[in-house]
Amino acid sequence: MIFLQFPELYWGKVGFQGHPAVFRLSDWGLSWDEADALGDRRWGRNYHYLFAWVFVFNGIAYLGWNFWQKKFYKKMFPSREELRLEHIKTDILNHLHFRTSNTESARSYNSLQKISYVIVLFVLFPFMLLSGFAQMPAFTAISPELIDLFGGRQTARTLHVVCTLLLVLFVIIHLIEVFVAGAMNQIRSMITGKYALPSERDE
Amino acid sequence: MKKSKPATLTRRKLITRAGALGGILLTGCDSDLYTPPKIRGGLMGVADVLTMSTQRFLMAGQAPVQEHDISEITKNFPVWNQSNPDDDEYQRLRQGGFTEWCLPVEGLVNRPVTLSLEDLKRFPQQTQITSHICEQGWSAIAQWTGAPLLQVLEAAGGVKPEARYVVIDAYGGWYEGYDMFDVVHPQTILAYGMNGKDLPQGNGAPVRLRVERHCGYKQLKFIKSIQVVSSMEGFGRGTGGLNSDFDFHWYAGA
Repeated sequence: MIFLQFPELYWGKVGFQGHPAVFRLSDWGLSWDEADALGDRRWGRNYHYLFAWVFVFNGIAYLGWNFWQKKFYKKMFPSREELRLEHIKTDILNHLHFRTSNTESARSYNSLQKISYVIVLFVLFPFMLLSGFAQMPAFTAISPELIDLFGGRQTARTLHVVCTLLLVLFVIIHLIEVFVAGAMNQIRSMITGKYALPSERDE
Repeated sequence: MKKSKPATLTRRKLITRAGALGGILLTGCDSDLYTPPKIRGGLMGVADVLTMSTQRFLMAGQAPVQEHDISEITKNFPVWNQSNPDDDEYQRLRQGGFTEWCLPVEGLVNRPVTLSLEDLKRFPQQTQITSHICEQGWSAIAQWTGAPLLQVLEAAGGVKPEARYVVIDAYGGWYEGYDMFDVVHPQTILAYGMNGKDLPQGNGAPVRLRVERHCGYKQLKFIKSIQVVSSMEGFGRGTGGLNSDFDFHWYAGA
């Protein structure tokens, strides 16, 4: 909704209508007025910050719990073995053929899962927050260094949107994989911890 | 431009009154520092207060905002929203080259005054090259020159102990309230100059507010009058400004 109010992206410290843009929605068939009519920027902003705080508190709770329980070390950080090219190649082929695991290994994350979860949690999520901060007027006083680190607030804004798209892509792929792997079984295991292997289900 | 001291304000008076204003900030306004004039209901209000209080905490030292190099000034700075208020009095003043424009400073000040544009230009000049950041997403860089709002209030004898907000009215019907945290910031100025020239029509002639650390919608253009108040009740819906009456967050640092 917020983006629709100003559907152009720029690079550097400044950007406005008429300034050279790296992306313009009007080039893709949606005019300024049409985009404007699709959203309400007042409530777009209000909800944006409300859910930014939900994201922050949820993030603190999630990271705190999992670090405390050492779950990242046990389950999520890929082992040296899993980071070998051969191993990753096998996993990619398995995914492309929608081959799901039927054995005991289905109880733990595979290497591609581990790598993408680590990227989302420890690269994209922090990046999302920092590129958001770098756009805030208050940060011109709080931390100009952060804005300079991004190379200007318009660059931060563009990367904020790119990062959003990457996260949406992650969610879509994640959901597809859940269905490929058996949605009901996955959801039950998330809530109750009981995950049935196919061999058990046949019994 | 002129550098002489304003007739009504000697250095000695300035120093004694700056102390008085500082005292008010320390005693009366501590909780106001972290909350808007009217907190919205529900979770939205919680998020508003979290955002404002976190940022205010981080800005407590009143650090100046980032300034840019003169070469980074945006050549064709956008003219956004209102560019020429449809207001009879404003049009009359504009046709007269704003020589008759005057700024009443009243309310909870010790000695209400009315300042002309020339009076304003006699205050110690503050010039800054800063980013103007619109909540919609655009931003541009300009150099602003003006009189620090704090010193204008000092020229009106300083503010009374119960003063909490400075309400600025603009031609065209806009008004906005600012709390003392923003008023005392050295870069909060009544700007009459932009990029070394008189403030252009589209950017708020003859005088606009620069309250850095906030989005564009707090940078009121076409200033008409200033009053110091103890509460925002009675102004519009009581939220603290016309933007927040329209459901924007009153605090615009995010």
